[in-house]
Amino acid sequence: MPLETESKARVRALVADFRPNNGDMMAALHRVQHEFGYLSQESLEVIAEQLDMFPAILYGAASFYDEFRFEAPAQTTVRWCSGPACRLRNSNGIRDAMLATLGMEDLHEQTEDHRVGMVLGQCNGCCELAPMVWLEQHGDHGPEQTPVGHMTAARAVRMARALRDGADIEEAIDA
Amino acid sequence: MPEGVAMPDLSVALERYEELRVRADAEYAAWRNPERPRIDIAMDTSSLANGARATGVAIHRVITERNAAVDMGQVHGYGMQWIHPSVQITFPNGETVLYGPVKPEDAARIVDEATGTWGAAADLRHGMVTGTHEGVPSIRDHEFFSLEPHERRLMRNLGLTDPDNLMHYIARDGYRATARMLGRHLSEEQVRNTLNDAGLTGRGGANFPTGLKWNFLYGAPGEEHYMVCNADEGDPGAWVNRVVMEGDPHLLIEGMLIGSYATKAKVGFIYLRDEYPFSVQRMEDAIREAEAAGILGNDVLGTGLEFHLRVVRGAGAYVCGEETGLLSSIQDSRGMPRVKPPFPAQRGVFNKPSNVNNVESFANVPLIVRHNSEWYREHGSDKQSGTKIFSFSGDIPRVGFMEIPFATRLEDCLRVCGGIQGGQLKAIQSGGPLGSLLPAEALPKLILQPDSFTPWDAIMGGGGMVFCNDQTSVLVLTEMFAQFVEDESCGRCITCHHGNQRQTEIIRRILDGEGRREDEPNLVMLDRTLQFSNCVHGQFSPKITRNMRVHFKGDFEAALLGVDPTLTMKGMYEVVVANQRPEEQAKAAADICPTAAIQGEPGRRRVVDEACIRCGACFEVAPDVMAKRPKAPKPGLVPIG
Repeated sequence: MPLETESKARVRALVADFRPNNGDMMAALHRVQHEFGYLSQESLEVIAEQLDMFPAILYGAASFYDEFRFEAPAQTTVRWCSGPACRLRNSNGIRDAMLATLGMEDLHEQTEDHRVGMVLGQCNGCCELAPMVWLEQHGDHGPEQTPVGHMTAARAVRMARALRDGADIEEAIDA
Repeated sequence: MPEGVAMPDLSVALERYEELRVRADAEYAAWRNPERPRIDIAMDTSSLANGARATGVAIHRVITERNAAVDMGQVHGYGMQWIHPSVQITFPNGETVLYGPVKPEDAARIVDEATGTWGAAADLRHGMVTGTHEGVPSIRDHEFFSLEPHERRLMRNLGLTDPDNLMHYIARDGYRATARMLGRHLSEEQVRNTLNDAGLTGRGGANFPTGLKWNFLYGAPGEEHYMVCNADEGDPGAWVNRVVMEGDPHLLIEGMLIGSYATKAKVGFIYLRDEYPFSVQRMEDAIREAEAAGILGNDVLGTGLEFHLRVVRGAGAYVCGEETGLLSSIQDSRGMPRVKPPFPAQRGVFNKPSNVNNVESFANVPLIVRHNSEWYREHGSDKQSGTKIFSFSGDIPRVGFMEIPFATRLEDCLRVCGGIQGGQLKAIQSGGPLGSLLPAEALPKLILQPDSFTPWDAIMGGGGMVFCNDQTSVLVLTEMFAQFVEDESCGRCITCHHGNQRQTEIIRRILDGEGRREDEPNLVMLDRTLQFSNCVHGQFSPKITRNMRVHFKGDFEAALLGVDPTLTMKGMYEVVVANQRPEEQAKAAADICPTAAIQGEPGRRRVVDEACIRCGACFEVAPDVMAKRPKAPKPGLVPIG
């Protein structure tokens, strides 16, 4: 048996209680992504083995879902709410202003230095705060999310500039 | 039941329940009439987004600093999301008062109010949740709740229990329906018939009779049946299921438990969307607590019946809200819907007979079984009985949720939400991305009952209603939904996969001011083509675009010509420097522009149109300087046909 990397051993321990054909795939993927921030090729191999699936089948299934990532997230991710209440208050302008400030063509990209990324978020029913974004970081205890409501395009520009220049989440919110 | 196996003695369920109830009553009485005043922070997704944690920390700090004789706890928000973060104070006499919004800087005042300085937070008070107090109205008399029945049903525990506390649920008659059903040997058929008599139908939007659906599963062959809850509430603008799961998680568990008995299912799954992490946590905690109390597991209330419940967390795929997509997702694969039949009652989870119901459908079940079907029909209409939770958002001052009887007038809902804000009512969006875009003139005729929406080629859907004013073009909303259904297409049917790409392309091009005369017939053709898709996602995906074409014909035809009175469609206006002064504003506009499109020396600033992305940042910092100017309309398009 080939020597295992340390991270592979960690993944194996993480998913040890999941079984094949038991409806455990989503839970296994979530647990590993929660721990590592994304699903590496290595981790997919381990999960596939644990669930008795071909790695290609597992990847095919996992990649169907928007929330599973296969590359490390940026230091800070801006999750832009795409809901209707936000759209009524210029959330398209907020999205475009942030993308332009960060030099990105579209959502689901990162700045070259991996400091800031931007993803599409779905409405979770906090529409009294519309338009909103969430600022996310992957901390030691999994993802941490800070909702920022009552956004405006000008605030979006200031926030994106601050993040681009290395500000942390609190500084960016106050920018 | 095979011969030789003794019928389990189910009457033990009542004894077990009584034991639990004694404990629960004592615990709940102590919570309702605490020895010291208690400040309960509303904890739910909306409260958390509004800063409930910070408020809680600040209040806790004040209590600690003063060594105040006050305790802290939690509840779920009462429905008025615009006053979040909210808190409730419960006094030893059992009076409970609702306050909001309580920011961290208000913490000292709230503690003052709780410790005897009545009036310290008078301006934050909204009403009495329980009890009466001179000068403070009952929260039930608040205009926002004026359409709700006097006694809430599905939301009866909101504000009155700690959602994480099983004992509170039991003390408020929770699991009583289960105990009586088992203990009094109600047959599976009787349970299903009660639901049919009550007229309970699927609350996810499809409106299929719940009891009838359960008949199919009960009658399905084999012993291995599965009960599945669809908690993948993906419609943007709808958060009805979230309220049930975070406000009263045991209500859903009990509904599924009764469902499992009525259909001989031993295992249940709650497929919960990833965007509700707080709901996931509440549901998982509640399941654990119910297991520990012997309500779930191998020996339900001592009867020897089995029911195991698990939460499966989705991962951002809207189409998993379609039942066969959801089932695929539970079974370790891509969440792609498949052709029906076979229906889930024939082939569901692990290819075994299964049943998929919405959260709210399940939540109604314990209430119906505990009372009876006549009680249930007291609210609603002949065509649709009962109550339903609706969530309201958009251009209204009062964003929130309420539980209202079916057949309530939608116009009244808008009124209690404070009316339309920032302009005139333009459109009502119901039923999510596969739902509808209704014109303002439909409002007086609409009642909250599915068949009332049908004449408008619309659906009522799962309970999300978005009121839109006339400041944003309906085509901007159409683009949002077109893109949504395109993104969320599973890709199996070429009609849906490619058809929605073309639909989005056309709408986007119109938004860019490049409308063509063939756009309308092409959209019609796409609409027809999409009807050949296999699942409802494809079939319903052109619906909002169709609603836009039909109900907002004037706006659509004007947009094809490049005319947009709202000036929200990118290609139909340009941003200009209307005044060179005040210079501070002009400079601020140039500085904020993310693409440096505002160029030139002071006094000679101008916008480079090719660089401008129309994000709107400059208008905020320089309202007196920057302006939108409509572009010249294109020469008239001659419609085809």
